[in-house]
Amino acid sequence: MPKDDPETAGLKKELNDLIAKCKADQEKVADAKLGEKCGDMGDLQKIRFVTKKTLKGHINKVNSVHYSGDSRHCVTGSLDGKLIIWDTWSGNKVQVIPLRSAWVMSVAFAPSGNFVACGGMDNMCTVYDVNNRDATGSAKMVRELAGYEGFLSSCRFLDDTHILTGSGDMKICVWDLEVGRREVEFDAHAGDVVTISLAPDMKTYVTGSVDRTCKLWDVRAEKAKQTFFGHEADVNSVCYHPSGQAFATASEDKTARLFDLRSDQQVGHYKPPGNSGFTSCGLSLSGRYLLAGSDDNTVHSWDTMKVAHTGQLNGHENRVTSISMAPNGIALASCSWDQSVRVWG
Amino acid sequence: MDMMVSTLQQQRAVTEQLRREASIKRIPVSVAVSDIVRFINEHEQEDCLLVGFSSQKVNPFREKSSCTVL
Repeated sequence: MPKDDPETAGLKKELNDLIAKCKADQEKVADAKLGEKCGDMGDLQKIRFVTKKTLKGHINKVNSVHYSGDSRHCVTGSLDGKLIIWDTWSGNKVQVIPLRSAWVMSVAFAPSGNFVACGGMDNMCTVYDVNNRDATGSAKMVRELAGYEGFLSSCRFLDDTHILTGSGDMKICVWDLEVGRREVEFDAHAGDVVTISLAPDMKTYVTGSVDRTCKLWDVRAEKAKQTFFGHEADVNSVCYHPSGQAFATASEDKTARLFDLRSDQQVGHYKPPGNSGFTSCGLSLSGRYLLAGSDDNTVHSWDTMKVAHTGQLNGHENRVTSISMAPNGIALASCSWDQSVRVWG
Repeated sequence: MDMMVSTLQQQRAVTEQLRREASIKRIPVSVAVSDIVRFINEHEQEDCLLVGFSSQKVNPFREKSSCTVL
């Protein structure tokens, strides 16, 4: 192996020094543990959510679910090649959208409720207009966003005209949907980007990757603001804390964690009683409960502050692939390889 | 930390990024967590997972009565 030239060697040394400095600075501010600061908080009961609706209609594994901003409708995507928009209050199907590719991995509902998006192993992100139908009576496809060199793993609408995507080619893109053009595209991680969560104020977002890190981004920038280490395997899901000051994560390493933005480090470490990987996570409206969908067919819950396991939601008969909390906090939607979608409240 | 870089350009980019990340201001964990605790306490009453529904009228999953408006 050729010896590094002086500049490369110098940069590598500087890099190692910087990494050590980051760690030291983080340790300097680590003057308390999570559990210590919430002595005044009451203990939580075991989670009281039960299945309020079981939504049946998909005929293959359901991979992704996302609530609309109205906290009533949600969209699911399944390997049966369909998106279904559900009214979670009645349990009825509002629309069934046939897809060109059955390999859907991720879905998103625009907060306005006007659009849904999906993508997966077709290496594309497709956007449908919920309020307009095409000649066959299905929701009109308004954009097919192509050009990815890897699978589409995650997408989130910034508003009705812009969508943020993460993909298996390790990149993040922002698309202008009105003109169908990529506004921004950049390398984001050292591995597949698998999950995105937008801040409550929509000015920043967090990503998780198979490179085991999470990163914080400003919506208008192409360089990460902060990188978070801690997980020991793929980060499968991230969820911004409603306070905007932290985010939760769920990982293949069989733990969920809480990272604090302003002290730039992991502050919470949540383990389940069993031994299964987590696919997805969410937080309750106040941020007190952390929920995570698991390979063990249940959704685990924890008290985020006292770091205590507060029970599991039982009902699914196979892996829970994705969960979504209603924006107003009244319900949780979960979907599974068992082909069903459940609404818990 | 696994930083595999193959070219000088990539090495420069990675090192520059770390320079940026190393220079951010960090606040003490005790302060950060206190603020999160405060947020949770302030929003506790709106969190259905904690307090349930304030009345059955706001529960969209309740069994509807049999009256309908004609």
